Amino acid sequence: MNLLKLLKVSILLLVTVASGCLVVPQNRRAKLADPLMAFDEDAQEAHKKSKFYSTREGAAGGDGAPAGGGCGCQ
Amino acid sequence: MARQRAAAAGASSLVKHALFIASLLASALFSVAASAQGFSNSEILGVPAGIELESIRVRFTHFDQTGRGYQSQADRPNLHRPGSEDITIEQPQLEIVAKQGKATHRLSVPVDIITAASPDALDAVSTASRVNEAGNFQLDTRYQQDRRTAWLFHANFHLEEPFRSWTLGVGGAHAFAEDNTVFAWSLNQVVDWLDRFNIFGTRLGRGYRSTTNLNVSLTQLLSPTTVGYVGYSFTFQTGELGNTWNSIAVDMGNDKIELDGEKLPSVRHRHALVARLSQSLPWDGILKLSYRFYVDSWSLIGNTIEAQLYQRVGRHLYVRANYRFHHQTGVGFFTAIADVAAPLRTADSDLAPFVAHTVGGLIAVNLKAPRLRDLHLDFGYERYFRSNDLSVNIYTCAMGFLF
Repeated sequence: MNLLKLLKVSILLLVTVASGCLVVPQNRRAKLADPLMAFDEDAQEAHKKSKFYSTREGAAGGDGAPAGGGCGCQ
Repeated sequence: MARQRAAAAGASSLVKHALFIASLLASALFSVAASAQGFSNSEILGVPAGIELESIRVRFTHFDQTGRGYQSQADRPNLHRPGSEDITIEQPQLEIVAKQGKATHRLSVPVDIITAASPDALDAVSTASRVNEAGNFQLDTRYQQDRRTAWLFHANFHLEEPFRSWTLGVGGAHAFAEDNTVFAWSLNQVVDWLDRFNIFGTRLGRGYRSTTNLNVSLTQLLSPTTVGYVGYSFTFQTGELGNTWNSIAVDMGNDKIELDGEKLPSVRHRHALVARLSQSLPWDGILKLSYRFYVDSWSLIGNTIEAQLYQRVGRHLYVRANYRFHHQTGVGFFTAIADVAAPLRTADSDLAPFVAHTVGGLIAVNLKAPRLRDLHLDFGYERYFRSNDLSVNIYTCAMGFLF
């Protein structure tokens, strides 16, 4: 039952987000403009991290990385 | 009647010729007039877009790994005990970002210099070469069609001693709802060629692997201080999905155990669902949270939680503390000692059930320098350790010139 509620809330949240109902005006985005707010602020660090985990964890990768799945050959 | 039609056709042809000659004359007159006024081609047509350098970054990372795994033959005391997974990697990286009109190009060249207990199949039986090198050439181009729509192109070439890999990718991003929401997608195709070896180091020819990957994501501004992200990734892999020389102890019966190669499926479907949150904090800090759920057709289920806390100290300095927790169930056919009749088998410690932690920190400074927008420096340390005997110390530093 709890799982069903969680699913309903997740779907509701996703639909709300996807429909663009949440609108933050341009003049209130100063904090959001900070480069550190970006999810991938440094491409080199992202590459280092992606390669490190995709060659050591079977459940990492799956995001276009060449091998992964425990194959440490790349 | 026929004469009238012929006359009309002749008149029409004459008019067409007259118009053509008139347009030629007009064009010639315009050119003469333009040259008389001293207009150059670039003044008339516009200046062609040049390449403008945005940044150059170099990063150096040192990985120091110790641990043991059942797939390794290095320093293995007996078949009931795991072999060494000790390895050190030096990873220099170069990145150049340049702008050309509406396009932004990013060229990355990371190189791995690996010194390992057993970096390739030949070292399974000899220690002739314990150093291996790997290099990547990666080009990413983002074409900003207009304020809301961007196109992404990705090409990558990976070069390693027994391994070659080519990647081509295309994607797009579209902002809507007053730029509050960004929908992005990408499609990548990877082709790998690798030399196949058995566990004794004998080359068995060439293998291949194909990876097709689709990603979709939605980024949403949730408040003036919060950004949310949800993404889904599907990957289909087929071909040789191991490195071919991973070994496994096999129970042959009658208390006889022998070393043999692992047996993996030739197809793998992988699904990953990611949710992220980036929250600006009132004290000049930023908190980033991430959760990733992973499941694949090898019965592997993974859960990963990550937190990063940034704190600005003055205008030019910031520090970061980060923690990552990862749990995976292991593939259905993982075992330390396999039955001889098992159709699938692996002893790869990376495919085993385990819990992993990463803790680390970073200090970064952005300085003003002559002729530069910023001079970026950072130093970081991370420690990765997991429940099945593997730990890695990671030291990194970077220098960036932002023009």
